[in-house]
Amino acid sequence: MLNYEEIIKMLPQRYPFLMIDRVLELEPGKKVVAVKNVSFNEEYFTGHFPGQPIMPGVLIIEAMAQASIVLFYGENPSAKKRMNYYLGSVKVRFIHPVLPGDQLKIIVEPIKIISGAAIVKAQAFVEEKEVAGGEISFIAKEV
Amino acid sequence: MQDIENEIRNLVAEIIEKDPSEIKPDSRFVEDLGVDSMMALEILAGIEKKYKIAIPEEKLAEFKTLSSIVDIAKTYLSKNA
Repeated sequence: MLNYEEIIKMLPQRYPFLMIDRVLELEPGKKVVAVKNVSFNEEYFTGHFPGQPIMPGVLIIEAMAQASIVLFYGENPSAKKRMNYYLGSVKVRFIHPVLPGDQLKIIVEPIKIISGAAIVKAQAFVEEKEVAGGEISFIAKEV
Repeated sequence: MQDIENEIRNLVAEIIEKDPSEIKPDSRFVEDLGVDSMMALEILAGIEKKYKIAIPEEKLAEFKTLSSIVDIAKTYLSKNA
């Protein structure tokens, strides 16, 4: 298991844009299971939507993307340099709304990883129920 | 073998969101069709999955036209056979 301190060594993102809180499983290049706790205190719930808080789908994608960086980091020695990551394409279906109090469990597995880019399969669950799933691709560029 | 060309044309067309008829064997990916490096990787992954072959990442640099990809795919298909 990786905690916050270890996660921020791998991710370039920082507050308020760290979208994973913990990594439960890390098999470099094979599988990552990560957790994002969704609190009512999240600022975006004020506006998304007033009186009806729902986690924005784009932020679920961001959580998936950050879990993918952990997967990529484990696989690519070059990623140990300071890298930024840019999404290339996203094909994700949203199945159930994610609400305050939910714990998102994100599972990512590689479809193809090369030295400077990756395509991954990503799924998000709340209590064993899939809330979103699909495919995302991104490139890594040295800063 | 004509089949492989058509299959790969359709796969490329779907990834780059063009009509298959726009993809001639010698249309240049970058200049004529607007293919970027991410799309090229998706094409590579799509071909690997479809034909259950492994294409090394160095070959991405040779993904320049439909015909060049078809040649690469055929090479790795025959290695597998």
